[in-house]
Order: sequence, then structure tokens, then C-alpha cells
Amino acid sequence: MSSPSHPSEEAPFIEVTGVKKSLGTQEILRGVDLQIRRGETMVVLGRSGEGKSVFLKHLIGLMTPDEGSIRVDGEEIVGISERRLLKSVRRKVGVLFQDGALFDSMTVAENVAFPLRERGIRDVSVLLEKVEKALSVVELDAHMEKMPINISGGMRKRVALARAIIAQPECILYDEPTAGLDPVVADSIDHLILRLQRELKVTSVVVTHDMKSVFKVATRVAYLRDGTIYFLGTPEELREHPDPKIRNFIEGRSEETLREEAEKTRQKER
Amino acid sequence: MRSALQNMGGGFLRLLSYLGQLGELFLETTLAFFVGKIRPNLVGRQVVNTGFGSQLVVIVTGAFTGAVFAAQTYFKFSTLGLESAVGPVVSIAMCRELGPVLTGLMVAGRVGAAMAAEIGTMKVTEQIDALRSIGVHPLDYLVLPRAAGMFFSMPLLVAEATGFGIVASYVITVWGFKVPFAWYDAQIRAFTDLSDIGIGMIKGFFFGGIIVLVSCHQGLTASNGAVGVGRGTTSAVVISSLGILIVNFFLSLLLNYFFPLSAQA
Repeated sequence: MSSPSHPSEEAPFIEVTGVKKSLGTQEILRGVDLQIRRGETMVVLGRSGEGKSVFLKHLIGLMTPDEGSIRVDGEEIVGISERRLLKSVRRKVGVLFQDGALFDSMTVAENVAFPLRERGIRDVSVLLEKVEKALSVVELDAHMEKMPINISGGMRKRVALARAIIAQPECILYDEPTAGLDPVVADSIDHLILRLQRELKVTSVVVTHDMKSVFKVATRVAYLRDGTIYFLGTPEELREHPDPKIRNFIEGRSEETLREEAEKTRQKER
Repeated sequence: MRSALQNMGGGFLRLLSYLGQLGELFLETTLAFFVGKIRPNLVGRQVVNTGFGSQLVVIVTGAFTGAVFAAQTYFKFSTLGLESAVGPVVSIAMCRELGPVLTGLMVAGRVGAAMAAEIGTMKVTEQIDALRSIGVHPLDYLVLPRAAGMFFSMPLLVAEATGFGIVASYVITVWGFKVPFAWYDAQIRAFTDLSDIGIGMIKGFFFGGIIVLVSCHQGLTASNGAVGVGRGTTSAVVISSLGILIVNFFLSLLLNYFFPLSAQA
């Protein structure tokens, strides 16, 4: 079902091979193979509960697969210790978590400065300059002293994005970046993803089920279904794909809608 | 009958598994003291939270326990003409048992609950994953400062509670019941020495370890949102408290072997 089409022959930044993962008795990933090229925006699409976030957490070693291999920038991350992960892949990859995951004991500015402070930057003027710059990218430089609890969900995501980019990672993982946001804020997040990809040339992996977002930001799309990559291709290939399972997902048709449509067709035929 | 045995067996296996997880956390935390990154500002904050923040509960617990214990001992001992023994009975009980155990229970309720709730909330809101993704080891950032703060504060808190208990017993016995100060002072000096205070502080160190280990484990393994955090917080206090009471018995036997009470008489 896959349809490879991209001119780049460069080694992939992330290479996932045969990854399987079960949580309890439930088999979440049943052998996922995916290569993410340097500088592209890969959207991982799928229904809620299909294991998209689980897959994303594997890419940075926050979860360990039961089987399979994950290479990030040429380095195998499966089976290496947490402390080694901290010094290798976690320095190259930033993550935007679904609800932002801001540290609620810190202000917006402290949250954004945190990755730099942890890398040993203590000079307040340097920190302030970089924090202001990162927050201005997400247009929130006027809210530096606020606590996360006092800003809206969309603002929290944008602050989390500023935190994810401040250390200039080579790759950013986005977990449902537009979920739960109003259409205007969701659109602004999409623009930010595009802008970061254009200006910072970062590799991006976006996990979502927001179709509008898919067609706006994706270089390629992987459709995760039943624990495997069911489709891999460009957004245009996805849009034109004849497979009914893919079409139903893109057009948001549930089983009930399909039954109603079948019933209407039968009535017309009579 | 068979299902009852199966339940007992299942419970025993769960207990073993839980103790194994605590053991693993203990080893990882011990290792982190050597290979992890120690953040002095976070340790300082935890010393303030645990040590300074527990002043009121520790002083009140120590003072009123010493006072009531002195009063009850006086009531009974005075009928036997043993008023002069009230001081050493209270001081030994406070130093060796009541001071460390009651301080442990109070700190488990105040600090252990807060640890489990804070770390548990961070776990269920993905803040711990965020820490890891930024390149920070959660043990270094969350457990190590709390452990260091607790190990530093707890022995001192025990000594403080014991001290306030003895002072309160002095107030009740000498000022309240008019036992001559010379008796009270001479008997306390005869029966209490530094090893008694040392025993209490050693116990405080171990109880602090139990509180940190149990509470941080409950936080780090929290799941199911607010309900899970609430359950973890309750479990942290209950398990820490039971652990303190059980370990205290064995620790008393062990420490009495090294510092026997009878040798002082």
C-alpha cells in the first residue's frame, strides 16, 4: 500500500524498522517500518487510540519497543541506557507534547529557558535574549512572567513549542499539535510548524488526526492503521488514493455514516 | 479454600514485586548520587521544604508528646515514690522511640504526601516525559534533591522533637508537679547519654529513606489522572507510616545490640 516518492537519496534522520510494542495485553504496534528524511515534515496520521503517540515516544526513547530497531541520526537508540540517551538523541530532538507539558511550578520564561539552563548557560542576559527570541517566534513575548495555569491551551502549546526549539534541535516531534484548539489557533500552530521547517530546516514528525493540518504541513504522510504503516506517500497521493479505508478516514466517515449512505443508495435503487 | 490460597499467593507475589521495585529505585537513586547531576539549589529548596517547613508539626508533636508522657508517668510513679524517675523514662522514650517514630509519621504525612502528589501530577501531565525529552534524568531532578534534603533534615528534626519533648517534660515535672530540679537533672544525666540521641537520629535517617523511597515511587508510577495521583498520595502516607513502624521494631533490636540500654544503669 505504500507509494514511495521523493528525490532525496540522503540517509534518513530517523529509521524505524520492525518496531513492535504491546501495552498489557493490547498489541499497539505490530511491526512499524518508516524512514524519515532529514529536513522533511512527516505526518503520522491515524485514528485516536491507534498508537500514534506511543510511536512518537519511541522515536526519542521515552518508550522502548518489544522488538525492532530505531536509529536516530545514524545511532541505534534501542537498548541503550537512559543516561546515554540524555546525552545523545535527546540533545538533537525537541518534543511538543499533546498538552504542552509545561512545568507548572515555573513561569513561561523559566519554562522556555529550562533547556538552556540545563545545558549550563547561566548568564542571565544571554538567557533572556534567547528566551525573548524563542517567545517572539511563537508571538508570546508579552507573557513571559505568567504562570502556565494562567494562559490558554493554545498559548501553552506555543510556549511548549518555544521550549522545544530554544536549544535549536535538529528535529522536532509534535504530538497532536492542534488537538483541542479552535480553528484559528490551530491554523497559527500549522503556520509555526511550516515556518520552523522553512527557517530552521528542522526535520519534523507530526502526529495528528487533523486532516486540514496534514495537507498544510506535510511533506509526506504515513497512515498508521492496525499497528502498521498502512499508507506512505505525499499528501497529494493520499488525497487521490482510491482505498476505501483511507477515503473514509480522510473524509471522516464513521461506520454509522457508511450504513446510512448504503441505506440511502438502496432506497434510491428501489 | 483454593481461591483463598490463590489470593494469598497473589498478594504475596505483589508484595515481592513492590519490594523489588523499591529496591530498584533505591539502587538507581544511590547510583545517581555518584553518577547523576546534583543541583545544590534544588537540594537547598528541599531542605527548606522538609526541614524548615516541618518546624511547627515537629515542635508541637515533640513538646506535647513529652508533656503528656511526663504527666502520665508522674501520676503512676508518684504513687510508688518514684517521681525522680520521670525525667529519665521520658528522655529515653523520647530519644529512642517516640521522637523518631512520631517525627517519621508526621513527616510522612506532611512531606511524603506532597512528594507523591507533586511527582505524580508531573507524571500524569507528561512533565516527567518533558524533563526526559529535554535531557534531564528524572531521578537527578526529582528524587535526588528530595532524598538529599530528607537525609539532611530528618535526623535534625528527630533531635529537635526529642529536645522539645524533654524540655516539655521538664516544664511539667519540675514546674507543674514540683519535682526538685536536682533530682530531675541528676536522674536524666545518669540514665541518658549521647548514644540515646544518636539512636534516634540514626532511626530518623532510615525513616527519611523510607519516606523518600515510598513517596517518590508512588509519584513516579502514578497513572489514571487525578484519581491515580490521589490514590498514590494516600498509599505513600499509609505505606511509609507502616514501614516506619515495622522497621522501627527491627531497628530498635539492632541498635540496642550496639548501644545496649542496660549498660548505662
